[in-house]
This record gives sequence, C-alpha cells and structure tokens, in this order.
Amino acid sequence: MSNILIRDLIKRHGALVTVDRVSLEIGQGEFIAFLGPSGCGKTTTLRMIAGLTPASAGSIHFGTREVTHLPPYLRDAGLVFQGYALFPHMSVAENVAFGLQMRKVDREEARRRVDEVLSLVKLAHLAGRLPKELSGGQQQRVALARAIVYKPEVLLLDEPLSALDAQLRTEVRTELKRLQSALGLTTIFVTHDQDEALSVADRIVVMSAGRVEQVGTPREIYQRPATRFVAEFIGRTNLFPGGLDGPGRFRSESGERFAFGNADAPSNASALAIRPEHVSLQRGAPAPGGACTLEATVEDVIYRGALTEVVVRTASGARLAAHLHNADSGRDDLRPGDPVVASWPADAPMLF
Amino acid sequence: MSALALTGEDSLTGGLPAPGATDRRRRRSSAGWLLFPSLTLVLAGLVLPLALMARTSVAHFDAASPDLVGFTLENYARFFGEPFYLMILARTLVVALSCTAICLVLGVPAAFVISRVESRALKTVLILATIIPLLMGNAVRAAGWMVLLADKGLINSALLSAGLIAEPVRILYTGSAVVIGLIAVLLPFMVISLESVFENIGTAYEEAAQTMGAPPWTAFFRVTLPLAMPGIFSGCLLCFVLAMNAYATPVLIGGPSFQMMAPKVFEQAIKVYNWPFAATIALVLMAVTLVLSVASSLALQKRYGVL
Amino acid sequence: MAGTRSPSPRSLSDGSFRPVMVGGCVAAFVMVLSPLVAIVWISFFENKIISFPPTGYTLDWYRAAAAMPQFRDGFVTSLKLGVVATLVSLIAGVPAALVLARGRFPGREAIQSLLLAPLIVPGIVAGAALYMFLIEVELASGVQVAMTFWGLALAHSLIALPWTVRLVTASLVGLDPQLKEAALTMGARPLTAFRLVTWPLIRPGVVAGALFAFIASFVDLEKSLFLVGPGVTTLPIVIVNYLEWSIDPTIAAVATVQIAVISAGLVLTDRYFKLARAF
Ligand SMILES: Nc1ncnc2c1ncn2[C@@H]1O[C@H](COP(=O)(O)OP(=O)(O)OP(=O)(O)O)[C@@H](O)[C@H]1O
Ligand SMILES: [Mg+2]
Repeated sequence: MSNILIRDLIKRHGALVTVDRVSLEIGQGEFIAFLGPSGCGKTTTLRMIAGLTPASAGSIHFGTREVTHLPPYLRDAGLVFQGYALFPHMSVAENVAFGLQMRKVDREEARRRVDEVLSLVKLAHLAGRLPKELSGGQQQRVALARAIVYKPEVLLLDEPLSALDAQLRTEVRTELKRLQSALGLTTIFVTHDQDEALSVADRIVVMSAGRVEQVGTPREIYQRPATRFVAEFIGRTNLFPGGLDGPGRFRSESGERFAFGNADAPSNASALAIRPEHVSLQRGAPAPGGACTLEATVEDVIYRGALTEVVVRTASGARLAAHLHNADSGRDDLRPGDPVVASWPADAPMLF
Repeated sequence: MSALALTGEDSLTGGLPAPGATDRRRRRSSAGWLLFPSLTLVLAGLVLPLALMARTSVAHFDAASPDLVGFTLENYARFFGEPFYLMILARTLVVALSCTAICLVLGVPAAFVISRVESRALKTVLILATIIPLLMGNAVRAAGWMVLLADKGLINSALLSAGLIAEPVRILYTGSAVVIGLIAVLLPFMVISLESVFENIGTAYEEAAQTMGAPPWTAFFRVTLPLAMPGIFSGCLLCFVLAMNAYATPVLIGGPSFQMMAPKVFEQAIKVYNWPFAATIALVLMAVTLVLSVASSLALQKRYGVL
Repeated sequence: MAGTRSPSPRSLSDGSFRPVMVGGCVAAFVMVLSPLVAIVWISFFENKIISFPPTGYTLDWYRAAAAMPQFRDGFVTSLKLGVVATLVSLIAGVPAALVLARGRFPGREAIQSLLLAPLIVPGIVAGAALYMFLIEVELASGVQVAMTFWGLALAHSLIALPWTVRLVTASLVGLDPQLKEAALTMGARPLTAFRLVTWPLIRPGVVAGALFAFIASFVDLEKSLFLVGPGVTTLPIVIVNYLEWSIDPTIAAVATVQIAVISAGLVLTDRYFKLARAF
C-alpha cells in the first residue's frame, strides 16, 4: 500500500513551468530523497505536498485521502524548513508542543510526548531554552522533534542539514535515519548533496528542470542511471559523446574506440560513460586481445586520501579519470608523463 | 605569558599609551565630534526652551508685563483645580486612546495584507497609497473631512438627496468626527511601521505553524502577532503621541465646542497672552504623554522582553 | 487511523481569515483616502456652496486660488523650509546615527533618547517653548529670530532630525560586523572610508530618512504655529487659517494642487529609489 501518491503534479508561475508532471508513489515508512541541482523544483514540489503552494494541476493523496486542495493545517504533514523557522518567542518545549496543542491533545499527554520526543533527539535537558540560545545542530534537532512529535502522515525535510558543518551533517543524518526507521515515518528529504541522498534514502528521486529524471534505489541510481543527466549528476563520470560503431563498439567524437558488453545498450546511443573506479591502469603495452583498453599518458595524479585520482590523456586528446584505491599495495606510483594502458570490465560502460 | 603581557604593558611601551588605548581614545573623540551638531541642535532647539518653559509655568501671570516674575504653583493649582481643564485633559486622553485602538484594529490587517501581497506592483501601489496621504498634511485631510462631514457636506447631501434622512445629521464638530479625522491622519503611520515588521517576520513562521496544524487565525494570533509585538507597540506609541498632540484636527473638525489640550495651549498663549498658564498646560500635556509612554513601554518590556 | 491523527476538522471561522484581513485593509484605505478623494472631487464642483450632487463641474476654483498670493507664498516657504530642514537634519543626524550604531557605550541610551525626543515632545509644546526661548534670545541680543525664516528653520530642523537619526540607525542595525569595520576604518581615513564603506551601507537609510524628514517638515503645523510671522507662513498654516473661516472649492483646489505636486514628486522618486524598500 502506498502512503503518498502524487499524480502529474504541475506548478506554473505564469508561463514558467517549475514543476512538470511529477508522478510518484511512496510507500508507508519509506525514506525518499529528492535530489537535483539548484532551482530544479525540489522545494516547490515539497511545498505543494505540504499545501503551502497550491498545485497548478495534478493530484496528491495521503493514503486514501486526497489532499490536493486541502490547506496545510488539514494535511497532517511535518515539515522541517531549511532555516528551521523555530518560533523565537517560544521555548524548545513550547515549540515542540505546538503541533500537539493544535491537535487538542490533553496537557498531560502532550507533556509526556514532548518529553519523550525531546529525549529521543537528546535535548531533554534544554527544554526550557529559547531557540536563539541553541547551537545550529540543536536547533535542527528541535525542528525535527517539532515535526515528528505528532506522528505526521508524512515528514517533509527541506535541506535540513545544510546549515550544519560537514562533521555534524554526517552525524545528524545517521541519527535522522535511525529515528525515521524507528518511528516508521514516511519521509521525503530534499537535498542537493548526493552523498547525503545515497547514504540515507531507500529510494532517490532525481529531478532536473522540474521533471523527474529517475526514481530508484541508491544502487540503481548510481549503477544504472537512466539518463545521461543522472549519470553525470550522480558521482564522477567519464563521459564521451559519440556514436555506435558496430555491435558492442562505440566510437567517441575524438576518435577513441571503446568495447563494451552491455546487452541493453540503446541502438541510437550518443554518449558513453565510465565511472572512474571501474578504470584500471597498467604500465606497458596493451594485453593482446584485451578489447576494453585505451593507450594513454598520465597527465595528473591527485592524492585523495582513500584513493588516488589519476587523469590520463589519449593520443587524440580525450581525458579519462581513474580512481585507484590506495589500499592496493605493491602498486608503484605513477607520474605525469608515464605511458599507461587504461582498461575496464566489459560491462562497465554505460550508454545513453 | 599573558600575565606578563598584562603587567608589563606599561614598562614595555615606555609610558606611551598602548595602541589599543589610542585607538579607543581617537574613536571616543571622533564620537564627540560626530555627535556635536545633533546634540547642539537638540539642546538649543528643545532642551533649553523646555527649561525656560518650565520656569515660565511657575511664574506669576501679569497681563501688563511680559517679564517672568515670581515663583508660584498657582498655574498648576488652577489647572488641576478647575474641572473644566481636567475634563479637557480626560477628553484628550480618551480621544488619543480610542484613536490608537482603532488604528491598531485597522492597521494590523492593512499592514499584514500589504506585507503578504505577492505581486510587487500591487504592493508598491498599496505602499504609495499609504505614504502619499502622509505627505498631504493634517490641514488638507482635515479639509477633506470637513467637506465630507459638514451639515451641508457630501455625506449629508448624499443622504438627503437619496431621501434617507430628512434633516442633516450633525457629524462635524462632534467627538466622533475628531476621532474619525485623527484616525485618517494617524493610520498611515501605524500601517507603515507594521508593514515593515510583518515583512521582516516573513512567512516561514506562519507556514511552519500551519503545517503543524494551526488554522490561519491561530497561526496569526499565536505566532505572527506575538513576534510583531515590539513593532505594534512602537506603532501604537507613535499614534498615541501624535493624537495627544494633535492640533489641526480638533480645531477644524472639533470646532470650538470640542476642546482638546493642544488647541488650549495656543489659545492661552496667543489669544489670552497668558504665557505662564499656556506653559503649564503644555507641560501637563507633555508630562502625561511621557509618563504613559514610559509606563506602557516598561509594562510591555516586562511581558515581551527587550523592545 | 488517519482520522484520529488528522488535526481537528475545519471550523467555520477558518475561511474567514482572508476576508477579514482584506476587509480591514480596505476599511483602512477608505479611512485614509476618502478625505483626499473628497477634496479633489469638490475642487471641480461648480457651486460655491457644496451640495450633492453638483450641478456641474468647473476649473474656476483653480484660477481663483492661483490669484491668491498667500497660498503661493505659503507653498514656497514650506518647500524652502523642507529643504533646509532636511539638509540640516542630515548633516547633524547621519554622524550621530553612525555613532549610535557603533554599539553599546556609556550614555548611548541617553543620547539616543535625547536625539529622538523631538518626536516624543508634543509639537505644540515644543513650538510654544521654542517661541518663548527665541523671544528671550531676542531680548538679550536685539536680533529678531522669532517669526523669521531662520527661526522657523530651526524648528523644522528639529522636526526632521529624529527621522534621519532613526532611519539611518535602523538601516545600520543588523549590519553589525561590517559596521564595526566601517567605524574603525573611519578613524584612519575618514573621507575615503566613508565614501567606500559607510556610504553604501547607509544610503537606503539616508534616502528614506531624508524623505521622511522632508515630509515631517513640510506637513508640520503644530510646531510652526507660534513661529510664523508676516511674510513667512507655511502652507499648512495658510490652509488652516483659511479653513477656520470657510470651506469652499477654492481651498479644495489649493489642496488638490498640493496633492498632485507631491504625488508626482513621489512617483518620480520611486523610479530612482524604490520607496517600498525604504519601509
Ligand atoms: N514565486 C515564484 N515565481 C516564479 N518562479 C519561481 C517562484 N518560486 C520558485 N520559482 C522558480 O522555480 C524554480 C524551482 O524553485 P525551487 O525553490 O523549487 O528550487 P529547488 O530545487 O528547491 O532549488 P534549491 O536547491 O536551490 O533550493 C526555480 O527556478 C525558481 O526560480
Ligand atoms: Mg530549495
């Protein structure tokens, strides 16, 4: 049974279409991430689900209830804003209790639930403080507590971690994931940080220019991007425009020939993509018969901690990046100018 | 290390002032120069005159001589002794308070709507429509009300010709007319102060409240309005002070029978030449205004924190 | 399940929020604008005695008003006073606002209250006091100041000062860090730093402050009441003096001209500086 059903949702601002026929089915308790570049319509979609922006067309159902034309206060959604929007004149506890009061939960029960949710987000000791007396991370957790305390039918998070520093972000997102699955909350999480999306979401919705490009699990999105946009947007990709050159062969515009083994390659493919981690580099001459290879020269070596990024250049000038694990011992260090052979598994290239 | 630096500072700099100190001193002296013109202006144009006025208010009135003579409280005794003047003070207070209350009731929705209008063009038009009347001055707007409210004014003429009334209704030269006239004068001040307040609060808090289940009225009264409280208070204060001090509206719209404090000052000074008593009325008016302003801001400060 | 979770059902009054707010807004604008509309309308009425509906429309009253020198002189005096007062209030008020916005220092509250006092002290009180003071100065020095242009200019500068101080200070609040820097650099190279750092920060506040200062001066009645004299009378006082005798379309025509001139000025200003942004 799906908990949220979005059908052909459209938002127009005059002639401008900012959300274009978005359709989506979200299961009960599922954690969905909206991922896309800035301005692609993530916030607008989220606001339409919350009821803060009227939809121009399409429908939204929470369970069996159609909410498309309901005002936000009748939708039963929990929303965490990018800037949190904690009520500055209310204490932490009062902020959290607000949604319960609106639902006419009796005082004792409300106090119990506020205490409960505050200890869940580890803020019980700060219940009496005003929002401005909290750190960014603490404010974020109040915002979250405030949105989940009344067990909303859907929890909507608009870049909730963007105000936090890198370390806190990873910490809080793990915490968020834990809470979400413990409470079984259907959640939509907007972000333009792909790491965040890949690590917390059950499924990712990749958006671009108001449209849904692909919906899938993080693994699907990364390994089987449906479109060239998704392939380029998620992770690092070596992308070569060009065309098919016979079955299992691709010729790039600059003249490199690639062999690949994907059976499902479209016949009109115009680009080939290879993830850098699939590329391996060897010194010396190409192994005879190894079809998936290219001769190249090392151009740049960038040490990246866990991995080393090596950029090589083919004779015709095309660049290819390879990610080599630094844990692989016995590999002698490559230097700019070294001749190498790049190779990849036959099923690694993706064609669009 | 830090202790050494602290104790050794004087000897290290060889008695010269530390760089920080010079800097601070220079800033202080520049502050002095920057404040000089404005403070001189206020001192010469307001503080000294008020001191002189205070002195005048305790002088004995002698119609024959303009000099300040004697020290007496007779002017104050007269003001607080005669029910006539106390009544004028009470009337002024009632008018000012009711104007402030009505301005609040009308100004809050007006300012809120303007601040939440989505179209930039419409917002500009509405703000200009608020500012432009401010520029017309009390005199022009009083003239407008006179034209509307007079026995033979537009409203009475219209009602008469429509056959709704047989006799003109007396509106001009009544207390209600003064309140109406003052509201029209003061409302733009209220709307403009509040509009920027609502604008600054933004829509995020309302939206947060609404997603948590608060219907519009609840969101407004529980969230938006409390956040706007400091702005609402300063708007009210401005209205109240301006209403207390209003001259043109009571003179022109209230007429001779509806007397208020400010016109009384002018009358005593220019028509009766009783400067000591004029000074007394003026000072009472000012003191009452100040005391009420300060008292209310203290009360609100207690309730809503720093304003 | 969903039923127990969802918020309380929509109550009847929920839908009334927008209509009530918009209604209040409309009522407010009716209150504020109707006297102006009325006066403009009346100025075209044919009959000297106002009656409704009018028998016809005419432009005669504009001719009649133009023939009365007191209105023209009053307008010019008010305009000159407004300009002088605005300039003085800027020269005195902007430096003061810069100091006030620097942050806390001993005596800051007192200085701020003092500079804003002309706003709080009732105009009639301040006007009467200033009149008495100027008479004393006159008696002591033998130079006439009361009932001259410069006496009025002093009063109007005081009217204008709090507005520039208030709006310039307000425009600086929230810009604290940059402001500290601005204030510091000011010590080193006052003029350059002012032009490069401070001026861009305070410009919106200065424009808004100057606008309000001018308005406050131009429409002032109470404070000028005691200080006007033969040959130097402001437009609001000319209008009030006339209105105490009669209401007729002539005064409506004067008022309409004032409304038109000022509206035109405002709309022009709005082209270069979005007035809506000043508030
Ligand atoms: N009121 C509006 N009028 C016109 N266009 C708008 C309006 N609101 C949003 N847009 C446009 O809609 C598009 C989508 O905006 P939205 O805020 O949904 O983007 P987003 O995906 O959330 O971006 P970000 O990651 O930067 O937050 C943007 O191009 C924006 O300019
Ligand atoms: Mg966004």
